[in-house]
Amino acid sequence: MTTIILIAIAAGFFLWSLIKSRKKTKESLKIAKGLFISTAIQIVGVLALVSLFLAIIPPELIRRVMGGTNEAVSVLWGSLIGTVTIIPAFIAFPLSKQLMEAGATLTAIAAFLTTLTMVGFATFPIEKEYFGTKFTVYRNLFSFFAAISVALLIGVIL
Amino acid sequence: MMTFIKKHKLITVAALAYIITLIISPEIFINAIKQNGAFLLEMLEILPPIMVISSLISVWVPNDVIIKGFGNTSGIKGKLFSILIGAFSAGPIYAGFPVAKTLYDKGASVGNVVIILSAWAVVKVPMYLVETSFLGAAFANTRYLLTIPLIIFLGYLMQRFVKREDIPVSELDRKITEIYDQLPQRHCGACGYTDCHEFAKAVNEGEADMSECKILSRSSDKPGNRPLDT
Repeated sequence: MTTIILIAIAAGFFLWSLIKSRKKTKESLKIAKGLFISTAIQIVGVLALVSLFLAIIPPELIRRVMGGTNEAVSVLWGSLIGTVTIIPAFIAFPLSKQLMEAGATLTAIAAFLTTLTMVGFATFPIEKEYFGTKFTVYRNLFSFFAAISVALLIGVIL
Repeated sequence: MMTFIKKHKLITVAALAYIITLIISPEIFINAIKQNGAFLLEMLEILPPIMVISSLISVWVPNDVIIKGFGNTSGIKGKLFSILIGAFSAGPIYAGFPVAKTLYDKGASVGNVVIILSAWAVVKVPMYLVETSFLGAAFANTRYLLTIPLIIFLGYLMQRFVKREDIPVSELDRKITEIYDQLPQRHCGACGYTDCHEFAKAVNEGEADMSECKILSRSSDKPGNRPLDT
């Protein structure tokens, strides 16, 4: 659904641009092409590695390590798995629900979900390309601690 | 071949890993390939429109609009805008990088760029609905309410630690700077452009040729450090 909206916005903006100025539109297409080629190759590499990781470490294993009764251990596992992988939302949420039913604490699930999207070990090379090493290291490090804080606070509140 | 490997280390590593996996366990290999399909589909749906939008922004939106909305002095309003961009975005965080970088190149502050990226990752309207249905409203609400202030704090922290000179200039800017460095930088205007920077941009787009620079074509000295009396 959001993808359709996104494509619609892009198409609308593009048409408007085309009507306003062909030259500027051409210029922007050139930029878009450059952006796409340089990023796409790297993203394919990242996604291929993450897919392999997920194939080697199946959801059952994640369920086992995160569903443990020791809260500290499961939070640690949750945030570590969340950090190294990127899992699409349509897999992450059902998996989280299964985890909850399997006995994982809310803190561990929150740690998993927040690091999953915000901290990107896998996307590190792409982020570095755009923003440089220092920015990328700091952002991921701070985000990791932010994610853990959110998780711990959820554990306290709920 | 060597330069390809050097330039695309990641995909080379991935290819090697897949070959090793195929030898050790064809079953895992097939599972991984299946997984790739879903990922690639998502990427192909999201990335092209994202690239089109961000390049249109870089061509059409004037820098001062971005500076006013997302710059260092944009205040609370800038932070709110940044969260909203993330909240209504689509796709995983890697789709956010080109958009955030475009805004950054046009004058958005480091802090607001971090807010955009973090919100892009965590604060999402459609994701919120999915999360509520799977994990319950209490969980989703608490997570969102805790995360949003933390994201703003994260922006503030990054703003303090990462300066503008830590972030590389984009490919386009780099090319223009490269051309600019070769020019005499006297901004004489004889080429018909207002200054050397404008001329460099025109050369980069193929509209002008280096030979059109009147000073460069007159002398073959090393550019930039020529004495004034030539």
